[in-house]
Parts: sequence; C-alpha cells; structure tokens
Amino acid sequence: MNGPVPRRGTAPRTVVVGAGLAGLVSAILLRRHGHQVVLVAKGLGGLQLSQGTIDVLGRLDGRLVDDPWAAFDELPDSHPYRRIGVEAVRRGVDVLAGLLGPDLLAPVGERNQLYPTAVGALRPTLVVPPSMAAGAARDGRRIVIVGIDQVKDFHPELVAGNLARTELPGGGRLQVRHASIDLGARPGEVDSSPVVYARALDQAHTREKFVRAVKAVAEPGEVIGLPAVLGVDDPLAWADLQQRIGQPVFEIALQPPSVPGMRFNQALLAHTRRERVRTMLGAEVIGLVNEGSTVTGVRVQTAGGERTIGCDHVVHAPGGFESGALAVDSHNRVSETIFGLPVTATDATELIHGDYWGAPQPLFEVGVRVDDQMRVLDDRGRAMYANLYAAGGILAGAIRWREKSGEGIALGSAVKAVDAITAGEDRP
Amino acid sequence: MTDDLNHARDELMRASLDHCVKCTICETQCPVARVTPLFPGPKFVGPQAERFRHGESVDESLDYCSGCGICTHVCPQGVKIAELNIMAKAVMKADQPPPVMKGLRDQVISRTTVMGKAMTPVAPVANAALGIGLLRKAVEKVVGVASGAPMPTARTETLRAWLRRRPAPPAATREPIVFFHGCAGGYFEVETSKRTIEVLEHLGFQVLVPKQGCCGLAQQSNGLFENARTSVLDLCDALRSVGKELTIVSSSGSCTGMLKHEAHHILGVDDPRLLDVGARIRETSEFLLELFESGEVLPEFRRVEATIPYHQPCQVKAQGMGMPALTLMEMVPGVRVVESGQPCCGIAGTYGLKEEKYDIAQAVGKPVFEMVKATNPDLATCDTETCRWQIEKGSGVRTVHPIELLHFALGLSDDLPL
Repeated sequence: MNGPVPRRGTAPRTVVVGAGLAGLVSAILLRRHGHQVVLVAKGLGGLQLSQGTIDVLGRLDGRLVDDPWAAFDELPDSHPYRRIGVEAVRRGVDVLAGLLGPDLLAPVGERNQLYPTAVGALRPTLVVPPSMAAGAARDGRRIVIVGIDQVKDFHPELVAGNLARTELPGGGRLQVRHASIDLGARPGEVDSSPVVYARALDQAHTREKFVRAVKAVAEPGEVIGLPAVLGVDDPLAWADLQQRIGQPVFEIALQPPSVPGMRFNQALLAHTRRERVRTMLGAEVIGLVNEGSTVTGVRVQTAGGERTIGCDHVVHAPGGFESGALAVDSHNRVSETIFGLPVTATDATELIHGDYWGAPQPLFEVGVRVDDQMRVLDDRGRAMYANLYAAGGILAGAIRWREKSGEGIALGSAVKAVDAITAGEDRP
Repeated sequence: MTDDLNHARDELMRASLDHCVKCTICETQCPVARVTPLFPGPKFVGPQAERFRHGESVDESLDYCSGCGICTHVCPQGVKIAELNIMAKAVMKADQPPPVMKGLRDQVISRTTVMGKAMTPVAPVANAALGIGLLRKAVEKVVGVASGAPMPTARTETLRAWLRRRPAPPAATREPIVFFHGCAGGYFEVETSKRTIEVLEHLGFQVLVPKQGCCGLAQQSNGLFENARTSVLDLCDALRSVGKELTIVSSSGSCTGMLKHEAHHILGVDDPRLLDVGARIRETSEFLLELFESGEVLPEFRRVEATIPYHQPCQVKAQGMGMPALTLMEMVPGVRVVESGQPCCGIAGTYGLKEEKYDIAQAVGKPVFEMVKATNPDLATCDTETCRWQIEKGSGVRTVHPIELLHFALGLSDDLPL
C-alpha cells in the first residue's frame, strides 16, 4: 500500500510521532481542538524514566538559576527557548499542571528550589509533586534519610553523608542522618524493584507495616526522606503514609524504574485514552509521503508490513540521542534516523572530547532546527515542509540534563506546534 | 538438534540485545512480574540473562514467562525481548524435557484442530464432561491442566458444515476476499466466523473460505517448533490456494499475529509463502476500519445505546496497529467503549490452562475481570478466542468478538443483550 490512506470525516488529522512528554501533550491538546490524532511510537515514551519534576531552567553557565523565567534572555540565539519564548513555556507548564492535577503536582512557583537526589546531590527544579515538596533544602532543616533494605538502589548513608557535607547556595547546611528499615514488599522477595515496592504500598495492609517500621526509626522534629516508592497507582498513598507516620515525609526520585515519572506517564496515558487519541504503540515510523512542500502521510512499519497514515500535519517528537532518533554511526556521522532531517552538525569528530568527567559533550546540542512555529528548517534556514513540526528532545541547541530544561522545552515546543497547527481556529 | 531449534540457538546469540539500554520499561509493564515474585521480569530473564547463556539454559524462572509479548510491545529501543525469551524457553525445553505427563499435556493443548475434530461429533457429552468438577480435578492431578481453567464449548456444527448447509449468499458487488477462521473459529467460536462472513458479504464482498488447518501458534508457545513450522506453512498453502493477490481477513486475532510476524521472528521461517500471507492478512477490525475510512463503503448502522467493555489481547496489541476495534465500535451511534487499559487477561494462549500457572494467570486477569463486571454485566468484547473464554470464566460476563456488535448494529442479528 503506497500513498496516503484517504479518510472519512472532515476534522483535520495530525500524526504525532513519539510518546514522551512533548508527544503526549501535543496529542491531548490537538484532540481538545477537535482534531483527529494518531500517535505512533516504537514503545512507551521516556517520561516514565524521568524524575517526575518539571524542570524549566536550573543551571546556566555552570551556576544555579534562581528565577528561570528571567534567565531566558541570557540564553544564546541557538537555544530552543529563543524560538519558543517564555509565554509558551508558561502555558505548557500550566497545561501539564491541569492535566496532572493537584494530587500529582504541587502549585507552580516562580523560583527554582533544590531537592535531594538519590546520590545526595542537590538538584534545582521548578515544580515537584506534592510527595517531594518537603524535601526542599532549607538551612537547619533536620532530615532523616530512611532506606529500605529490600530496595537495593537506594543507599541512605550515601545520600545523608553527601547532603550533610553540602553547603547550601544561600549559606547554611541541612542536618542529616540516616536509618533503614527491613520490610519486604512481597513474601519471599529480598530484592524488590521500586515499582514492585510502590505497588505493595498501594495496598492497605503493607502500608500499616511500613508506617510502624518508619515510625520506629524517626525522631520527633525530623523530616523523613524516603526512596520514591510511596504508591504508584494511588496518587495519595504518600499523603496517607505521612498522616499516619505523623511527620513530614518526602520522596527522592530513583534511577529507572522511576515511580514519580511513571505516575506522570500513567496519568497522561489515561488522558490520551479518554480523549480518544488513536495510539499505535509498537509501530515504527519509517518515512514521510509528500506532495511538494506539504506532507500528506507518514509511513509506518507494523507487524506484517508497511502502512501509510494520511494526515494534514505531523508533530515530530521522537526524542533525541537517548531514544535513537538522533544517532552517530561508526564513521562519526550524525543523523536524524527517522525522516533523515537535516541536523545542526553532521560530523561528530570535533563534538566528542575524551574527558569523561569533564565539560559537557558538545554533541548533545546537535539536533533539528525549527522556526518560531516549530516547523523543521532545512540547511538554508527555510521551512522544509509547510506542516512538519518538531517538539521536545529532537530540537537542537540545549543540553537538557546539564541545564535542567527538558520538561520546559518539551512543553513549550508542544504548545507552539499546536498553536501553529490550530492557528485561526477557536481555542477550546 | 533440529533446524528449528538451531534457529532459536543462533538467534539467541545475535539478537537485538545490544539495543537494550536497561531502561526497565519492560519490567514495569510485565503482567506476570506484577503478580508473582517467581518471575523476575523480562529484562532479567531476557537481555540480562542472555549474556550468560551461550546456547545453554541457566535460569528456570524463564518458564514463568507467559509469552504475552508486552515487553517487546512497550520497548522503546526495539529489543525483541519476548521473542528472545520464547526461543530460550524452547531451547530449555529441549535441554531439560518436562515430566512425561506435562509434555503430553503441552502436546494436546497445542492442537486445537484435533480437539475440535474430536469434540464436535460428541459435543453434548464433551461439554458435560468438561463441566464435571471431579473429572477436571482428576485431569489436573494426572496431566496438569488446571481444573478451574476455561475450556472451549464444543459446537454441534462446524463452520464448514454451516457453509455447506446455508443458502447461497447475496451476489457480490465487490472483489473477493479470503477468510482465515483459525482452529477455534472452525470448531468452537463458529458464531464469530459466521458473523464475520455475513458482515463482509453484507458489505458486498465475495468471501472465499478455503479448507484450512492450524497456524501452529500454540505449538510454538509450547516450544514445539518443528510442528509449528509445518503447521504454519501448510496453512499458508491453503490460504494461497484461492488467490495470490487477495486480501485475507481473520477474526482470530492471535493467529493473525502468528502469520504477520511471530512465525517469522520466533520460528525463523523466511519462506516467501509466509511473507506473502503475512503482508496480505488483516485482522477483521483493522480491515473494516481501513475500508470505512477510505470512504468507499459507508455502512448504515442502527443506534445502539450501550457501554461496551473492550479488552485488546496482548497478541493483538503486539501487531502495532493501535486499537481499530475500539474506533470501529464507536462508529456505531450510541456506543461508548470502555477499554481495559490492561496488558493481558492472563491466559496468554495456553499458559493459564496449566495447573502450575493457573493462579498467576487468574491474578494477571483480575483487573480485566473487575473492569468488565463494573462496566457491563451483560456483554463484553475481546478479539481472540482463548481470551474471551478466560474473561467469560473470570467475570461471568458474556464476551464476544467486536464483529458481533457490528453484526448487530448492521441489523443482521438481534440476539445480543443490548
């Protein structure tokens, strides 16, 4: 079957490529505008691997950023935020806050705060889930980091030690000690994944035992830091535990599987189902069909062969190097692997230095360039197609994990792409 | 070692392991690992354990993999985790043969056509026997088929007998298409097959139903690769016998997956006959949605005020086509579909029939059963036969293929509780 599939109905159709934060939010917003949406993804998106916070801009030139909104103007012209703008990022953050609701997201503030990581570093971010809020670093705060013997990837002594020796940016320190509890998630299991543990804490009988164990090691006046395993399907499990323990608790995000990221992902997937986003998971996008400068379809590889999905617009949100949408081959050639789009550098030789612990690798700024409407640009800076938009990790110009800007870029670019696609239509 | 297992051994060595970035997404979505610590999860027994195997079997926990394929389905890096594990399982079975009676059991439950042929002539007796608790307990003790496991209901008339008996269908106005009914659709789920044929004929197609056997899927998932290979290629010959360019349609969701990709990826069948059939076959809802969206055929549905629970089976999810059945059912005015949101109903082909896996399969299916009961106590929908039996048994709610709802909405039948 070649050529786009004709389709019934008059609503415009957008194909969204990718099921990460940018893809999911674009798809949901487009459905709210009454568009037909087909979301195609090779597998589940990376959102559930994330720490479950909203980063907008945490670091710039090696220093901590206090007010991320004010710092946009200091960014170089090549940064995606210069095309996206503060207003769209703010709107994107608000959209996500609305989708996740107050159980999963604390109110959006104006300033970054620092929260402990799983190695006891302090990490800046703008918005956290309510379950992490009590972890914000404050001078003199008394904290006990409580590990669980059966959750092997969280080392309370390491976390507490590093936190205790860190001077806070405004001066002062946290007072931190550590403790651990011995409580299996399931009978006969001595090594539980964080998700298995979180599922156990969705159950009332496990919670009771957990509360007793934690109370036994906490001292009055302490804030209790726990690995992020406080329920996964029940968004209020942590609040119930906190209330029964009788002291403030906070979660610390772990390496994948990250339960806070999974909660976000589950919540957004539930929205896509409710909004009737047609999701093709386990299908691989392999190319475009175009008539001149207009994309008319997306070619997809599924079991049994190729299908073409006819469409009026494409939002390309496949992620970057981490997902394989950008790749470097053995000849150091950099490419965008799905549509073969032009990238900001094609030779990685000078972009990877050998100092593993040194400065950020310039390679990770490579990506696809877009205009103010998020339309993909060719080598001469002109829109390649009138209706091909890019969003999220595929965009060039930012090293997201370094500057802590991943969610802001994903949300802002998704909003801008949807704005462009629905320009002239009434807002829902 | 047979050629078939050589493929499994070789493929183990050079499979897609290197693409695994250990992100653990598969671990979080595995329905079996969710309910039992006996199975450590697809990444552990797959990409992780694979490095230690060197063609030998080391970890028996692999046996608890149900083969549902959700791990491959959700993997964002394209690692064929389930395929890898099913192949490793077949090698393990050859290296460490199961006890005689369990081996016999696996042979019997993977031969649906034989069961159908044996049971149809004595349907009332067979159904009564399957309903006798004591007899089922004895069977469980001796051969290891769980006494509580869902069993098909034998029919007194096969699909072929119906095709011979029925009046000539209306003259076709569109091109001929081939119908693949699968073993269950020939002997047990005869109603699904009949109604699919009637809907297709109603839309103007000439439906060709060549004499056909089993696709070999159940043999494959029980590690009987050589038998499976023979079965699938015989089936391809049968389906090709009536026309080499025609679209093939099937309401057997999992058997469709066998022809589209599983026989190729898991058994390593590269035969052009399979690749040809795999490219031409469409699951019924997939076919109809493509057709209706093309605008060529616009069906007249009557209004049906109903909320319909729908569970898409793991092996249909694995085909990467989205959920055409959901979109299709909601084209009927008044119909609202509630989707299970669950990876698997637990049965995973023949997994949930086995005495040692039965409790796990029930625990996996529980959220599906609960959702069905809570949504509509009279009627549920699901695209594959064994999953329907499992859901019906677990929820007590009548469960039909989505085509039956369309059949009803087109005014071709009146016997659904709607």
